[in-house]
Amino acid sequence: MADMVSTLNRPAVADREWIARAQDRCSTSRFLLWLTPWTLLLAAGLYAAYLCLRYGLHQTNMDNRFVFGLWIFLDLAIIALGAGAFFTGFLLYILRWKELKAVIATAVIVGFVCYSGAVLVLMVDVGQPVRAWFTFWHPNTHSMLTEVTFCISAYLVVLSIEYLPILLKNRKLRKVPSFLVFEFEMHKLMPVLAGVGAFLSFFHQGSLGGLFGVLRGQPFAFREGFGIWPTTFFLFILSAMAVGPVFVMLVTRLVEAVTSKRLVRPQVYQVLARTSGLLLTFYVLLKTIDTLVWLNSTSRQAGYRPWEYYAWEPFGTWILFAEIVLLGLLPALILLSPKWRARPGWMLAGALLACAGVVLNRFVLTIQTLALPTLPFEQFLTYMPNWQETATFLGVIAYGVIVYSLSYRYLSLFPQEKELAREGKEASHVS
Amino acid sequence: MFPNVDGFHWTFGHILFLSIFFAVLLTVGFTAATALARMMRNLRPKKVAEIRWHTEFEDLPASDRQCRHALTGAAPGRVCENGFECRHCADYPKFSGTAPEPQGRLYHRGHTWVERQPDGTFLVGLDELGEKLIGAGAQVELPAPGTRLASHDVAWRMGKPGNTVRLLAPVEGEVVETGSREKGWYLRVKPESPWPDLRHLLGGAAAAVWLDREMERVQALLAPAGMQPTLADGGVLVDDLPKAQPEADWHAIHGAMFLEP
Repeated sequence: MADMVSTLNRPAVADREWIARAQDRCSTSRFLLWLTPWTLLLAAGLYAAYLCLRYGLHQTNMDNRFVFGLWIFLDLAIIALGAGAFFTGFLLYILRWKELKAVIATAVIVGFVCYSGAVLVLMVDVGQPVRAWFTFWHPNTHSMLTEVTFCISAYLVVLSIEYLPILLKNRKLRKVPSFLVFEFEMHKLMPVLAGVGAFLSFFHQGSLGGLFGVLRGQPFAFREGFGIWPTTFFLFILSAMAVGPVFVMLVTRLVEAVTSKRLVRPQVYQVLARTSGLLLTFYVLLKTIDTLVWLNSTSRQAGYRPWEYYAWEPFGTWILFAEIVLLGLLPALILLSPKWRARPGWMLAGALLACAGVVLNRFVLTIQTLALPTLPFEQFLTYMPNWQETATFLGVIAYGVIVYSLSYRYLSLFPQEKELAREGKEASHVS
Repeated sequence: MFPNVDGFHWTFGHILFLSIFFAVLLTVGFTAATALARMMRNLRPKKVAEIRWHTEFEDLPASDRQCRHALTGAAPGRVCENGFECRHCADYPKFSGTAPEPQGRLYHRGHTWVERQPDGTFLVGLDELGEKLIGAGAQVELPAPGTRLASHDVAWRMGKPGNTVRLLAPVEGEVVETGSREKGWYLRVKPESPWPDLRHLLGGAAAAVWLDREMERVQALLAPAGMQPTLADGGVLVDDLPKAQPEADWHAIHGAMFLEP
């Protein structure tokens, strides 16, 4: 009878031995049901990637003119959003913002998923994965992409090493003495990895921006700068640092919503939002100055009338307004204001707008730059990703969801979860 | 780019870029190698036990890490950052003054107790609340005589299929005899020194307050969400709680009460 009551009231969790004791997780069957659509999406993505690798890039809608499509645009976007890993690590381990311990595991996993996903898509995009080592042995030393390739590869190694201690804290794995001690020792050395991660991220985020800023043949993107670095180098770093913390917050809030649990104290969200608000304000200020200099000087010196770029629909001046004001200044003000930030709805809206702003910025620099005609005889180019491109990228999204879901279920990502669950229970008793 | 590659010429830029890149790689590699080397060095049972307790203690919520002096009211709200190791706590003398060490049964926060015997050995057992939390008919895995125990390390395991808990050793020493539930104790331990320092254990008033609070914790953990605790008026816990309340999440309750993550 007792067993029957138990079965009736508590769903069967066949993998309970792998889940930390205090973590209340759904039944195994429900978890598998959740994973099923994502696994199907991943399978579709793998099939599309196979087609591209097997038959070549003519399986996509990219061509010799439109060389950067959906993949590069979204790669740049997720690399910017994944910056929360390095920046949160820097704030926690180097600047000792201890309250961020509550989200560091999520930040690392989000970073790992974003970077490994971006590298996977790049491998399909570049093709010939067997010759991937060529980029290290025969790099073009005059290309910003060389620096990007070297730094992203090294940073992915760093992220993998940072992910390892989180993985080894699994309830079963920590019972193995060598895993337990390795995790403990790695944890003590984490400030070194956080410092290296910040260094690498600073340069590859910057070089991804610099990549467009040095395009003299694309005056829409070309920018002056300091030394070998165009202004886009610094704007990319700053924008990635600005949205990294709020993206970590958005992911955590999404997990809270999906699982109906409180995982992180509101004060932590306040720290993340305030940090993003400050950096975003600084970014919007510099972006505005950069745009004004480009409109009034850089572009005109190159012999172009900049407003003509905005005559090509659908990329009208609205896109500039959206990028700087609607998805830049507005979220910066929301996230900076203690009054608005205190309201969860406003804070979330600010975070969403900020992330959308950076995604739009990456879209403008990849897609809009390539679409606009530069020479008098050129036409405005249009491009629409086909199913192979879309499926490959959705496959990467599915990969990310699966990795995060497994991590959430089997690893202890949120140190405050236990206490918040207890407080929630006590509060329900009082009420 | 590298030597033996056609057209390669070293420039200052190459040297600078590659130096920085390989310095970064070396730093990452050296960090990982350092962690591995330290792991190899620390793979000794006593050190592993120390590290295990350290990491498990770090995972405890602040409300479960109350300082013993917070329990007695000498330091209200104080949270232990020391793994309940009063022996290594710089503030211990400040709060305890010259009060004599409590005698009799001393408790570990993981519900095991230790009691000095006239022959110099120590009996180790599970307190009444602990027994009730595990319930009747539990399987017990005791260490063989001769096994060396470290403080806060796993002393023995007990429970039912699918939910076995580990009980923490309150004292370091060698297991010389094993007991049973019926005997009222589980291990007889011969300590490393005849008069071991047991300041990390609770006795006297601190133990009484702690046990009261543990009772309250159990009630709160057992009460379904939205329902008031039902034993606040002084009722007595039944002997076999898992049998009495099978619908409760015993994985989580055992984890919270026996300090197992």
